[in-house]
Amino acid sequence: MSLAINEEKNRIVRHGLLELAEHWVLALSGLILLLSGMFELPMGTRYGITSIPGLTWSGDYITSLTVHYVASVIFIVAGIFHIIYHGLLKEQGLMPRRGDIKASVIVVKSFFGKGEEPPFDKYLPEQRLAYLGMAVIIAVIVISGLVKTYKNIYAPDLSHTIVLWATWLHNIFFVLFILAFAGHIGAIVLKPNRPMVRGIFTGAVRLDYARHRHPLWLAEANTTAPLPVPSAGKSEDGKGVTAVIDGSPAEAAGETPASPEAEVAGTTESKRTETAGVTAEKPSREESPNA
Amino acid sequence: MEKKLTLNRRRFLKTATAAAMVGTAGALSVPRQAEAGEGQLATLIDLTRCDGCFDRETPACVSACKKIKAGKLPEPADPIPVPFPIGKVEDWSKKKEVGDRLTPYNLIFVQKADVEIDGRKKTVYIPRRCMHCDNPACATLCPFASNHKFENGSVVIDPDTCFGGAKCQAVCPWKIPQRQSGIGVYLKVLPTLMGNGIMVKCDLCSDLLKEGKTPACIEACPKKAMSIGPRKEIYAKAEALAAKIGGYLYGKEENGGTSTLYLSPVPFDRLDAAVQKGPGKPGLGAVKRRMAGTDGMGKAVLAAPAIGIAAGVAGAFAGLSKRKDRMKKER
Repeated sequence: MSLAINEEKNRIVRHGLLELAEHWVLALSGLILLLSGMFELPMGTRYGITSIPGLTWSGDYITSLTVHYVASVIFIVAGIFHIIYHGLLKEQGLMPRRGDIKASVIVVKSFFGKGEEPPFDKYLPEQRLAYLGMAVIIAVIVISGLVKTYKNIYAPDLSHTIVLWATWLHNIFFVLFILAFAGHIGAIVLKPNRPMVRGIFTGAVRLDYARHRHPLWLAEANTTAPLPVPSAGKSEDGKGVTAVIDGSPAEAAGETPASPEAEVAGTTESKRTETAGVTAEKPSREESPNA
Repeated sequence: MEKKLTLNRRRFLKTATAAAMVGTAGALSVPRQAEAGEGQLATLIDLTRCDGCFDRETPACVSACKKIKAGKLPEPADPIPVPFPIGKVEDWSKKKEVGDRLTPYNLIFVQKADVEIDGRKKTVYIPRRCMHCDNPACATLCPFASNHKFENGSVVIDPDTCFGGAKCQAVCPWKIPQRQSGIGVYLKVLPTLMGNGIMVKCDLCSDLLKEGKTPACIEACPKKAMSIGPRKEIYAKAEALAAKIGGYLYGKEENGGTSTLYLSPVPFDRLDAAVQKGPGKPGLGAVKRRMAGTDGMGKAVLAAPAIGIAAGVAGAFAGLSKRKDRMKKER
């Protein structure tokens, strides 16, 4: 696995195209599910949403159910693909590790100016915990939703106990999903996390940010696998210097074969390697680009 | 002292959480006592027998229903909270006597259709109530599982958990369920912001069926125009009678099939044209099950996990072979 770096443009690829696609397919279908689910509650007529141009269908439960079903197919396929694909490739950098809870407390405290945050891997400890939390919430919603769907089509007289469990779990975890989503958005609003936002849109984050805040991510590539002989140079467009640093641990950090985003991809043909770009110094607050 | 307090608080929280969990599990694990009767039931309403009890002030079925359901609904809150932003309150509590349409206090009424049969004018009387559909959208789409179809075919709304959102009414092709505002669990949550009462409709006298008795309307009919029994028998009886008189059946195909069959000497489209229709007064037209249009996509939802697994395995194989190729090249 490789870390694609563009020194000149100060970028490092954090997510491959596949990961970006997975994230956005899940996010967009999830939002549609959220919205159409709300309309099923029912909210369209109750809150006058039907009078909003473009949302007149919100009061038609059969239409919103169809929309809910279509989004469900996309969401479930993408979600299960994500688990199976990365599980089989052992790309499990988002899975929580021992000590993540303790580390998360330290990180959250640091957001409020108490103490310093530790050096991070590709993902923050609370990101790993949130990932598991979100996965559990989604799993409950999907399983209960499948029971409800089965009931709708094949077994309207399914045991009332099962229907009650499926319905209420679906409703309660729907609320938890909204809270988790709000937490997700809230986390990226926090100043220290903002440099990561670029990553989920373009695939790459600032290299100086990664070096400063995620040194373990870069260091793993540097220390646990032999690096190719450095031969830094100009890229074809003559603008940037690209470094592709090989090392298997990056895979463990959840990286799929990167199709570097435009800013980096423009220079990947001349895949120069550069070891100098990888340092694992523990950053200090004063040096922080986010401070 | 502080330690003791902390322990007490912790113990209290533990106890409260455990109690909440046990309570929730208990509430969810006890199904309502509405699983009435044995096996699937159906009812037959023979319009060749019903005379609308023209000699009575109120048809017997309507009186019997009103009598058995009297006092079942608590008095609504006074004043009834006005829901924001729609501001629409439905209060039938001051008009409980209404008997010529469906209301939360009148779960059956008799429609009148003046038609011509063989050149002669005739009045057909049609007792109307919930059809107890085979795949009722009112129940399957209820967001709180308050409305449920039981194994005996009865479709029953639980007044204790219903929020009165009227979704069941909106998806019912006959708009049968009726709302009474100011009653129900919504009063204990956010009465002006969530919910608007409870929905009420015929429950086929589930409590009577459970005791092995007959629903009140059927029992009360002086003309024996209504009957209830095992679904297969009722269906066979209805079809035999229809064949014998050259009559027509309603409820067999409508909305994907129902547990209620009407037998009429005239086609139902003529009855539909002749009856008075409006809120609480359903028609008798041809009705397709609208939700059938979503079944295909629903089946795709059920297949989605398998598609996801297949895509994940295929993708991982592709990823692994790509990885091997890269490693070979690097060597």
